[in-house]
Amino acid sequence: MTPMIVAVAEVADGALTRLSTEIATLARTLAGEAGGSAAGLVVDAAPDAAAAQLAAYLPRVVAVASPATGRETWAPHAAAELRRLVDEGATHVILPTTTDGRDVGGMLVALLGWGLLANAEGATWDGDGPVVHASVLGGKAITRSAFAGATGIITVPPGAVAAVEADATGSVEARAGADAPVIPAVSVLERVAEAGAAVSLEEARVVITAGRGIGGPEGFAFADELAELLGGVVGATRAAVDAGWIAYARQIGQTGKIVKPALYVGLGVSGAMQHRVGMQASEAIVAINRDPDAPIAEIADLFVLGDLLEVVPALVSELRARRGA
Amino acid sequence: MRILVLTKPVPDPAAGAERLGPDLRLDRASSPTVVNGNDEYALEAALRLVEAHGGEVVILAMAPANAVETMRKALAMGAHRGILITDPALAGADLPTTIRVLAAAIAAAPEPFDLILAGFDTSDGNGGAVAAGIAVRLGLPLCSAAALIEPDLAAGSVRVRRLSAKGYDVVEAPMPTVLSCTQALGEPRYPSLKGIMAARSREIAVRSLADLPEGLAPADRGWATKVLSAAPPEARAVGRTVTAGPADAAREIADFLADRRLI
Amino acid sequence: MPVMTMNAPAPGLVRLSDEQILLRDAVRVLADERVAPRAAAIDRDAVWPEDMRRLLGEHDVFAIPFSEQHGGLGADLLTLCLAIEQLSRHCATTGLILAVQALGAIPIQVAGTPEQQDRWLPRLASGEKLIAFGMTEADAGSDPSGIRTKAVLDGDEYVIDGTKRFISQGSVASYVVVFAVTNPGADKPSRRLSAILVETDRPGFAVTRLEHKMGIRGSPTAELAFDGVRVPVANRLGEEGQGFAIAMQTFERSRPGIAAQAVGIAQGALEVAASYATQRRQFGKPIGELQMVQAMLADMDAATEAARHLLYTACEEIEAGTPDAARWASIAKLVAGDTAMRVTTDAVQVLGGYGYIDEYPVERMMRDAKITQLYEGTQQIQRLIVARSLLARSG
Repeated sequence: MTPMIVAVAEVADGALTRLSTEIATLARTLAGEAGGSAAGLVVDAAPDAAAAQLAAYLPRVVAVASPATGRETWAPHAAAELRRLVDEGATHVILPTTTDGRDVGGMLVALLGWGLLANAEGATWDGDGPVVHASVLGGKAITRSAFAGATGIITVPPGAVAAVEADATGSVEARAGADAPVIPAVSVLERVAEAGAAVSLEEARVVITAGRGIGGPEGFAFADELAELLGGVVGATRAAVDAGWIAYARQIGQTGKIVKPALYVGLGVSGAMQHRVGMQASEAIVAINRDPDAPIAEIADLFVLGDLLEVVPALVSELRARRGA
Repeated sequence: MRILVLTKPVPDPAAGAERLGPDLRLDRASSPTVVNGNDEYALEAALRLVEAHGGEVVILAMAPANAVETMRKALAMGAHRGILITDPALAGADLPTTIRVLAAAIAAAPEPFDLILAGFDTSDGNGGAVAAGIAVRLGLPLCSAAALIEPDLAAGSVRVRRLSAKGYDVVEAPMPTVLSCTQALGEPRYPSLKGIMAARSREIAVRSLADLPEGLAPADRGWATKVLSAAPPEARAVGRTVTAGPADAAREIADFLADRRLI
Repeated sequence: MPVMTMNAPAPGLVRLSDEQILLRDAVRVLADERVAPRAAAIDRDAVWPEDMRRLLGEHDVFAIPFSEQHGGLGADLLTLCLAIEQLSRHCATTGLILAVQALGAIPIQVAGTPEQQDRWLPRLASGEKLIAFGMTEADAGSDPSGIRTKAVLDGDEYVIDGTKRFISQGSVASYVVVFAVTNPGADKPSRRLSAILVETDRPGFAVTRLEHKMGIRGSPTAELAFDGVRVPVANRLGEEGQGFAIAMQTFERSRPGIAAQAVGIAQGALEVAASYATQRRQFGKPIGELQMVQAMLADMDAATEAARHLLYTACEEIEAGTPDAARWASIAKLVAGDTAMRVTTDAVQVLGGYGYIDEYPVERMMRDAKITQLYEGTQQIQRLIVARSLLARSG
């Protein structure tokens, strides 16, 4: 069986998500190593623009116009399209580690009996299948895993793979949607956007995180100001969320979001294990804390011992001054 | 309402003692066990629904035999009874098998459930795919990432606030339906003293593969995935501590960001 | 020379059951979140903490030592002690509220008729009513033969006259179990007393004094006057003349509660001292890195753990019906009380000047610890009981 690797893209406001381009890059790389083929899948009410974007990364893109996804949850329809591609020879499916991506993954596992390797930090083709690297047990170990058979599903979190366009633009194949979703569809009555959630925390290059040490909801002004200067998004620890200072959607950690930005700045974040699980893979970590024993000091590249209420304003003026220069 | 909640016993993340065994699978004996955090939000949501609408909460786990003790904590929170699927042939089970077995156990219940709740993901697996898989096996709708659950018993439907990248979607599904649950549903209660004492007389039915239809698990534990090797993560380079005053500290941070081309 | 026959049964190592751990942790959460923030004010204001009483009622903590039949949890003595320990870790007064409720109920549980139990226990289990234990008098502390309060039969009523002193929660209780002389001419002094439950709303009952105390300042310690208080004979617990025996049986099950209070106080002080030692810096490093401080903390930890496990073993032995219950109760209280005093004193030492002021809770804990060496039998009385038991077996 010649490997055929399908990258499943997600569309937000008509455009591809960054993670979709990362997944597409991984699918293309693996297919190249395997001597097989790679394809992208876009399922959307209006898939054309995103499909054209995706074709910059993959030799072949299947664009499924699925009007139902405009009024129903997406995953049961996307899974139906994937089942079609599997019938046509797809051997591996790469999905984003998002709510919809995970849902599609679970549906395919149940439909096909394939194995699933979650949260791949990277993958290489080795002999007859992909070998997937993942960080497990809250970052305590890095495992290398493989599928027992010639098929499988991989989910990939944001930032695991760098997106690189292909040398040539691929072809886009437009399709009508499959007959039926794999399970009864669920109607979407309303889509509500919440303030501050415009940029996804997981996709942000810079994350400014506020912990209990920020002192209260008014302390978030410091985080917001820094985020604006550095082009980042504001996240929070569970303690700050539990205190009611910010919405749960902003929470980083065990029961919140997992982030891997180029820069993480912790303001009054102590760095409890449950929080570290969600941010310790960040490329650069800067922490400002009054407590010299805060566990975050162990993983910070730069640990500033001081009062954030004094250090952050100083940093803001410093950054402004340098920008002006 | 009859609500089934999947409650997976997992190594306590707060204990920080999780490790892989020689077989490169999670060593479940190395760490104290707790109910998976997100599953507790599911259980709390189920308990509140039953308090509001009447009915029964049943917990289900596929786990080693000693999981009874962990499940008892969930019963102490207020769940009415439990089902534990335990079988040596399921040790280290892969996702397809886990989904098949859990779905079969739900289907085998003599009375149907209105809602089937799972945690959004588990702290020891993080796949977050079980709820969707079960929905497929049972042919039921799926509402994932639930932040609010409002059933309409007269209409036989449930309205769910489903977290999205931008905020949330309001979705509506006919019951029975499968939901995956998030922390946004609300803090799980502490077991009350009366609940703890009542839990000892509540039933946990222990079942093995022999009690379920044949063919759910592959022979000889031929799992669909295998761990080839495990290694500790590369240690982060030792960081620097800055103790200077605010202005100097700010300069040091800015230099660091410039060094890393972050500004 | 007589052969030593030390035939006390060898107890096994106590491991808490999962259920006991769950119950303990449930009370620990209440103590950490609801009791701890109130402890300093309860001590400073020296006012009965009605909010803590409501807390223990609403969360079924009062229900722990009562049978399910009476609306309780049907838990064992060890579980009760686990709860008292957790409450006392932060606030000895709140731990005592539970201990006194349990203490006052024991005479009803051991000597009450089913009718009496049905009448009084459910409202004690819910915390709707509080009960006090009325034994001590001004001239009858360690020696109950000095009790002068008398109950004289008049038709189908007792008429009670006398004064009780140092009665914990006597001013807030709805019931007091009064130990009064009903048989002044009994052949043995121990047959003079009867236990009678007195409702405190009966005419002739009065709270005549509240003590100003060194510790457990939120727990009112009252002087109670009985001036011709008439109660039905149906309020007598057990037979006439059994009062002393009932009191002794009560102490076998109540002294472990005081030991638990002591262990809790010690544990609380140890936690404060250990945390302080990691934060307080002197000579350029946390004082916890100084060996002399480390040695103190290690001794405090070891002593507290030793007292705790002695207590737990005592509870298991008493619950199992050992004939040696009085000895187990006494050695548990003796060791725990002395440990609490020493550990809290050392905790003050670890904190230095900060330990001596009310910015930190250890000075309060030190004052609270002292009472555990005094009430429900002084340490001297405990030693007397232990020595008598030892010598009786060795003779």
